[in-house]
Amino acid sequence: MAGIVKPPGEFSITPHKVSVCILLQIYAPSAQISFHFPFASVAQHNRLGLFLLALTKSCDDILEPKLDELIGQLREVFGVLNPRFIDHLTTRLSALSSPDDLFNFFSEMRGILGSPESGALEDEQVILDPASNLGMFLRRCILAFNLLAFEGVCHLLTNIGVYCKEALSSCASYETTCFEDSSSNLEAFPEYENMDLENFVFKKVTEEIEARKRASERVSFHLHAPKALFNLVEDIEAPADPKSKHGDKVGEASSYVHPPDYALREFEPNSGIFLRTNWQIQGYLQEQADALEKNGSSFSLNAFELILRQLHKLAPELHRVHFLRYLNSLCHDDYFAALENLLRYFDYSAGTEGIDFVPPASGSNSFGRYEIALLFLGMMHFQFGHPKQALEVLTEAVRVSQQLSNDTCLAYTLAAICNLLSEIGVSSTAGILGSSFSPLTSIGISLSVQQQLFVLLRGSLKRAESLKLKRLVASNHLAMAKFDLTHVQRPLVSFGPKASMKLRTCPTNVCKELRLSSHLISEFSFESSTMTTDGAFSTAWLKNLQKPLGSAILSQENGSGSNENAFQFCVQPSSIPGSVLQLIGSSYLLRATAWELYGSAPLARINALVYATCFTDASSSSDAALAYVKLIQHLAVFRGYKGSVKKPNFSSCKKLNQVCCGEVLGGKKRLQEMVVLCANVTVMDADKGQMRYTPILKSSIVHFKLCLNITDPNVGLEAFAALKLAEEKFLSVSKSRILILKLQLLHERALHRGHLKLAQQVCDELGVLASSVTGVDMELKTEASLRHARTLLAANQYSEAAAVAHSLFCMCYKFNLQVENATVLLLLAEVHKRSGNAVLGLPYALASLSFCQSFNLDLLKASATLTLAELWLSLGSNHAKRALSLIQGALPMILGHGGLELRARAYIAEAKCYLSDPSFSVSENSEVVLDPLSQASVELQVLEYHELAAETFYLMAIVFHKLGQLEEREEAANSFKKHMMALENPLDDEDPLFNVL
Amino acid sequence: MNSKESCRSELRIAIRQLSDRCLYTASKWAAEQLMGIEQDPANFTPSNTRFQWGSSSIRRRFRTNEITSTPIAGVSYVSTPVMEEDDAVDGDFYLLAKSYFDCREYRRAAHVLRDQTGKKSVFLRCYALYLHVKLSSMELSHYYPRLVVGATKSINYAIIGLNTQYQKEAWYNEAGEKRKEEEVIELEGPLGKSDSVNHELVSLERELSTLRKNGSIDPFGLYLYGLVLKEKGSENVARTVLVESVNSYPWNWNAWSELQSLCTTIDTLNGLNLNNHWMKDFFLASAYQEIRMHSESLAKYEYLQGTFGYSNYIQAQIAKAQYSLREFQQVETIFEELLRNDPYRVEDMDMYSNVLYANECSSALSYLAHRVFMTDKYRPESCCIIGNYYSLKGQHEKSVMYFRRALKLNKNYLSAWTLMGHEYIEMKNTPAAVDAYRRAIDINPCDYRAWYGLGQAYEMMGMPFYALHYFRKSVFLQPNDSRLWISMAHCYETDQLRMLEEAIKCYRRAANCNDREAIALHQLAKLQYELGRPEEAAFYYKKDLERMEAEEREGPNMVEALLYLATYYKTQKRFEEAEVYCTRLLDFTGPEKETAKSLLRGMRTTQSGFPSMDVEHFSP
Repeated sequence: MAGIVKPPGEFSITPHKVSVCILLQIYAPSAQISFHFPFASVAQHNRLGLFLLALTKSCDDILEPKLDELIGQLREVFGVLNPRFIDHLTTRLSALSSPDDLFNFFSEMRGILGSPESGALEDEQVILDPASNLGMFLRRCILAFNLLAFEGVCHLLTNIGVYCKEALSSCASYETTCFEDSSSNLEAFPEYENMDLENFVFKKVTEEIEARKRASERVSFHLHAPKALFNLVEDIEAPADPKSKHGDKVGEASSYVHPPDYALREFEPNSGIFLRTNWQIQGYLQEQADALEKNGSSFSLNAFELILRQLHKLAPELHRVHFLRYLNSLCHDDYFAALENLLRYFDYSAGTEGIDFVPPASGSNSFGRYEIALLFLGMMHFQFGHPKQALEVLTEAVRVSQQLSNDTCLAYTLAAICNLLSEIGVSSTAGILGSSFSPLTSIGISLSVQQQLFVLLRGSLKRAESLKLKRLVASNHLAMAKFDLTHVQRPLVSFGPKASMKLRTCPTNVCKELRLSSHLISEFSFESSTMTTDGAFSTAWLKNLQKPLGSAILSQENGSGSNENAFQFCVQPSSIPGSVLQLIGSSYLLRATAWELYGSAPLARINALVYATCFTDASSSSDAALAYVKLIQHLAVFRGYKGSVKKPNFSSCKKLNQVCCGEVLGGKKRLQEMVVLCANVTVMDADKGQMRYTPILKSSIVHFKLCLNITDPNVGLEAFAALKLAEEKFLSVSKSRILILKLQLLHERALHRGHLKLAQQVCDELGVLASSVTGVDMELKTEASLRHARTLLAANQYSEAAAVAHSLFCMCYKFNLQVENATVLLLLAEVHKRSGNAVLGLPYALASLSFCQSFNLDLLKASATLTLAELWLSLGSNHAKRALSLIQGALPMILGHGGLELRARAYIAEAKCYLSDPSFSVSENSEVVLDPLSQASVELQVLEYHELAAETFYLMAIVFHKLGQLEEREEAANSFKKHMMALENPLDDEDPLFNVL
Repeated sequence: MNSKESCRSELRIAIRQLSDRCLYTASKWAAEQLMGIEQDPANFTPSNTRFQWGSSSIRRRFRTNEITSTPIAGVSYVSTPVMEEDDAVDGDFYLLAKSYFDCREYRRAAHVLRDQTGKKSVFLRCYALYLHVKLSSMELSHYYPRLVVGATKSINYAIIGLNTQYQKEAWYNEAGEKRKEEEVIELEGPLGKSDSVNHELVSLERELSTLRKNGSIDPFGLYLYGLVLKEKGSENVARTVLVESVNSYPWNWNAWSELQSLCTTIDTLNGLNLNNHWMKDFFLASAYQEIRMHSESLAKYEYLQGTFGYSNYIQAQIAKAQYSLREFQQVETIFEELLRNDPYRVEDMDMYSNVLYANECSSALSYLAHRVFMTDKYRPESCCIIGNYYSLKGQHEKSVMYFRRALKLNKNYLSAWTLMGHEYIEMKNTPAAVDAYRRAIDINPCDYRAWYGLGQAYEMMGMPFYALHYFRKSVFLQPNDSRLWISMAHCYETDQLRMLEEAIKCYRRAANCNDREAIALHQLAKLQYELGRPEEAAFYYKKDLERMEAEEREGPNMVEALLYLATYYKTQKRFEEAEVYCTRLLDFTGPEKETAKSLLRGMRTTQSGFPSMDVEHFSP
C-alpha cells in the first residue's frame, strides 16, 4: 500500500481546454470549414498564436481561468478591435448541448491537424504541425476526450454548461455585444433554468434569497448591472449556501495572505467544480507550503485549515494535505495538532508522497521512509523547544536511516542535530546521543557538546558534499561559520604539552565558510526542481500578462507594439528558487553578525542593509525582522534615540521629497531609482564602494523609507522613529524580535537618563520574555540578566550587581558562551571600578581582554582596554601615563567603530588622564583637554546620558576655572547643574514607546 | 416503566408509520423490539414462542438480579401521543411515489410528489432526493480518487461506502438484492463534486429550514433536516434538530442513532434535553457504550430487559458490552443462544467470531463462517468472519483478501481495518499495516487496538521512541489493559532507549491491572535487580512467586525467582529463609539444583564456623 510511485499528472479535458481548442480552430481553421476569420493583420494572427502558446503551456496550471477571465485576457491582448473571437468562442461553447455535439466537435478538431504528407500549402492556410506545441496540445485533448467514458462526457457537458453560465452571469458588459447575434444561447440553456427551478422550491423563501435569485439568474441575462452589484449579490449568497461556508471564510484568510482571488477562486463554491489533477494540487500545496514558511504567522490558522479540510474531503487519498495541516499548526504553535497531523501524514504516506519524492533508484526499499518522519518529528520538537526529545528522536532517525542506508536523510538529520546543538544550550549530551554513531565515543573519550558539534558538523558537511546536496552543503558551511565565530576549535585529542593548542578563533575561517556557502548561487543546480520548471514559469507569464501588458498594449495598439509583446511573453521571472535566495540571504545576515562581533560597524551595517534590500522578498519575515533590528540597533548606538540635534540638510530633504513623490505617484520606477540612489549613497558613504551589489527591486514603501533613513546620516530619523516604522512593517511578528528590540532600546535609554525604576521595569519584562514557554533562548536569557546587572549597577547596588554578574558568568561558562563571557567579565570589572575596588577590577578586565583577543572581538577589546585604563587611573595619579597610553592605543578603534557612549567615555577618560597627570599643565595646552570634553558633551547630550554629561561639564568647569575663563566656567557649571537636576528628578516626560508597553 | 401493552401498541403504530415513510431500518428495529416484549400469557400459543428465549437456560444463568428490571424510582415517562396520519388526499400520488421509491427510483419518486403539500409527501420527496444525492455522491466519491492517485491502489478506490444507515437501507431494502462489484461505476476524467449534486443538497437544506421556520415540519422532516445538517458539518444545529425530532416522535431509531453519532463525549450527552421516554433508555445505553462507559451501558440494558425480555437486539448489545469488558465466556454463551433463536442473523456476528478467535475455537469459527456465508456472503460482517477464520488458520493472505472484501463493502468498517492491520503485521508488511491502522483511527480515534497496533508496527521497524507516542495513546484510551502497559514497557526497555525507570512505572501499572500472562512482576524484579536495587527485586520476586503458587504454575520463572531469593537472603544473612528457598530449589532438575546444593553447603559451613546468636539459640 505504501511506496507507490504516483504517475505524473493526468491530462484531462476540461471546459477551459475546450475553449482553447475553439481558439485553436480560429487560429488554424481547417480547409473544410467554410468560415475563416479575417485577421486584421498578420501581426494580429501571430499574436493569437503566441497567446495560445502561453495558454497551452499553462494548461497544467493549478487554476484554470474561468471563461470570463479568458475573455478578459483576450480583450487585453487584442483590444477592443476584435470582439468577434469572443463571440465565436461563446457561441461555440454554448452550442454544445448534447454529447453528440462534443463528439462532432472533437472530430472536427482532428481536421485542423495537418497530416504529415499534405505538404501542399494553400496560401494563407495555417496548418498545425502535429508535432508542434499547439498540435501536441490538440492531440492530447482529442486523446483525452476519446478516453472518456460516456459518463465522463456527460459530466464534461455539465461542466461546460456551468462554465458558460458563470461567465454569462458575471460578465455583465458582454451581453451588449453578444446577445443579438447569439440568440441560440437562450435555447441552449433552458434545461439549466428548468433544472434549477425544479430543484429550488422557492415558495416561501425569504426576501433575501429571492433577491439573490433574481439577480443571479434573470437579471444578469438581461440587465447590465455593474460589477459592484454582483459582488454585493455574491456576498448575500454566501450565507445561504452551505458550501460557501468555506468559501467566505477563505475569503477572509486569503485577503491577508495572497492575492485574494487566488485562494478564493480555487475554493469558491462554484469554482471548485473543475477538479485538478494530482500534480496540480501537489503544486498548489507546495506553493502554500512555501508561503507558510515565508511568513507563517500572517497565515490565518483556521481559514487555511478550512481550505485544507475541504481539500481533504474532496481528495481523501491526497495525504500531502495532512502535511500542510502540520505546517499550519506548527506556524501557530499548536503542538497537539501539529503532532497529530505529522504522524497522520507519515502513517498514510510512509514518507513517499509529494513532489519532492524521488523513487529510490534501485527499488530495493519498498518499505516506506519512516526515517523522514523521525527527522520531521525531531525538527518539530526542536521548534517547540523540547531539545531533549528532539535529540532522542533525531538519534533514532540517525539509527534508522543508517539501517535503511538512506544517506540523504542521514545528512539532513546530522545537519538538524548540529543546528539543535548550536542553537540550544544543552549542557550535556551524555547518554542522549547514543553510542551507536559517534565515531569517537568508541575510543572512550568524552567530548564536550561543542566538540561533538564540531565533529558532527564536519561529518555532515562531508556527507552532504559527497551526496552533492548543494543546499545542504551551503547551510552546513553557514553552520560551520557560526561555529567558527563563537567557538574555539580545540583539538579533539591533545597529547603532550599544549604546544600546538591555539586558543583562538580565526576570522579568516569564518569568511572562508561564508564565501563557500554563497557559492551556492553560482553553482545552483536542479536538486529538486524538476517540477517547477515549466508549469510555474508559464503561470508567471499569464499572471504577468495581466499586469504590464494591459496598459502597454492598449496604449500602443499599432504594428510596432507586437514585437514588444512577443518580447514580453518570453520574459521569464528570476529562475533562482526561493530556498537558495533564503540561504544566501542568511549568509549576509551572518556576515552582519560576524562584523558586529569583530567590531566593524560599517561592514555590519552594510551587510544588514544588503539583506534588507535584496533578500527580504525571499526571506522569512522573522529573518527580515532581524535585519531591521540590526539596522535599528546600529542607529541607536550611533545616533541616539530621539531628538535630533542636527537639522536635515537640503539635499536629504530633497531626497525625502522625491521618495514622497514616488509614493504619491505610485510609480514603481521612481521608487526603484530612489533605492538605487540610496543604496549607492550607502556604499560610498560606508565603504568607499568596496562592495558591489544590485538591489533587487521590490518592497514596500516603509521599507524604502527605513533604508533611506538609516543610510543617510543627515536625515533626522532616530532609532525610535525607525522602530516605529519597523513595527508597522512587522506587525505580525512584532511579538518576538521587534518587541525585544524595543525593550532593549527603552532600557538603554532609561539607564542613560537615570530612570532606574523604568529600567528595572523594562528589565523585568525582558526577563519574562526570556523565560517563555516555548523553549529557552539562551541568548535572550543572558541578555536579560546582563541588563539586570547593569540596572543594579546603575542603582549603586554593587554587591547585588556583582552577584548577578557572577552567576551569569557561571552560566555562560557552563554553556560555553565565550563571547558573552567576555562581556560579563567586562561588566564585573566595571562593577568593581564603580565600587572603588580598582585592584579587584583589574584581573577581570584583563581576563576580558584575553577573551576578546582570542575571539577577535576588536571593539569589545577596545572597550575593555578603556575600562582597564580607567581602573589604572583610579589607582592613583602615578598610573596616569600608563592609562593614557592604553587609551590612545584603543582610540583609533573606538573612534572608528564605537558608538556614541563609548566614544564619549574615551574622551572623558583621556581628559581625566591629562588632568590627573601632575606633569600636565592646563594653561599650556588646554585644547588637549577641552576638545575631547566638548566633543563628549555633545555626544552625551544626544544620548541624554545625564550622569556622564554632568561629569563632563564638571570637568570642563574645572578646566575653565583653572584657565580663568569665568564666563565659560559658569556656563559649564550651569549645564552641570541642569544635568544633575535631570538625573535626580527624572521627569516622566512623554515617552511614545513606553505607552505601548 | 409503562405497561408492556402500551409499549406494544405504540410500537405497532410506529412500525406502520415508519415503513410508510420508507424508513425501513427503523421499522425493522421497532418490529424486532415489538417481538422482544414478553408475550401476554393470554395470547400465548406455542408457535409464538418459537423464536423466543423462553426455552433457553440463558436467563437463568445471567439474569440473576431481577431487581434491575424494576423501574428506577422517580422516573416518570412522558407519554407521547402517537401522530395521526395525513388524510388520504394525495394518496394515489403517494402510493406511486412509494412504489418508485421501493424500486430505488428516487428521482422519479421525488418527481411524482413535486406538487404535493402533505407532510408525508413532502418528507418522502425530500428523502428520495436526499438518497439520490447520497448515491450520486457515492458514485462520485469512488471514482474520484482514481483520478487523483491513479489506479494502483485498487482496493481503496473501488470501495463503496456503505457507512451509514440510510445507505445500507438503500442497498438492502429489498430482500435478495445483492449488489455486485460490477456496479461500481468507473469513470475517468476531470470530475469533482458534481455541481448539480451540491445544488440539490443546498436546496434541500433551504427548503427544510424554511419548513422548520414556518413550523410546518413533522418529526420525520426534522430527522431528514438533521441528516442534511450533519452532512454539511454543522453538528450543533443538527443535534438540536434531531433532539426536536426524537422528542416529538421517539420511535424512529434512525434519528436516535444519528443523534448518538453526534454525541462523542459525556458532556454533549448530558447536555441533551430529552424527554423521558422508554426509547431514551435504548439511546442512552447505546450512547454509553459508544463512549466506553460499558458498565453503565450494561446496567441500562439489563434494566430494559425487564420489558423487552426477548429482544435479540438487547442481547447482542449486552454481548458487545461484555466483550468490551473482556468477559469472553459470557459473550460466547450469549451468542450461542442468539444463534439458536435467530439462526440467520449476521449482525454483530463478527464480534462472536472475534471471541471464537480469541479462544482459538477454529471449528466453531468455521461453522459460523459457513453459516453466514450461506446466509449472505456479501455482508461486511460475513467477510470479516471468514477473514478471522483464515487468520486463525494462519493463512494471512487469504485473510487479508476477505478483510479487503469487507472493506469494499463498507469502507468505514472499523474492525476490519484494525484486523487487517494485524494481518499485515503478521505478514511483516509494516507499511501496509500502518496504513490500515491509521484508517481505523481516522474512522474512530478512540480505537485503542489500532493505536496499539501502530505502536507495535513502529516498534517492529526499530523506531521505539516514535512508537511510544502511539502506545501512550492506547493506554490513555484503555488504561486497565495490562497488555498495553507491558508493550509500552518493552518499548522503554529496548536497547535503543534504555529508559528503565519509565519501563518500571509501566510494569507497575500492568501488575496493578490483573496481568494475566504474569509478565509484569517478573520483569519488574529483573529490572530492579539490573538497576541495583536488590530489596525491591526480592520484593517483586517474592510477589511473583506467591502468584505462581496461587495459580499453581511452575517453570523457568519459578526457578529464577527461587534462586534469586535464596542468594539474596543468604547475602542478607537471613539463612533460614535462604534455606527454605534452597530446599524448594532442590525439587527442580538442572544446574540450579547444584547451585542450591552448594549454597546450602556454604551456609552450613558459615553457620558452623561462626555460629551466630540466633542459630545457637534455636539449634538444639
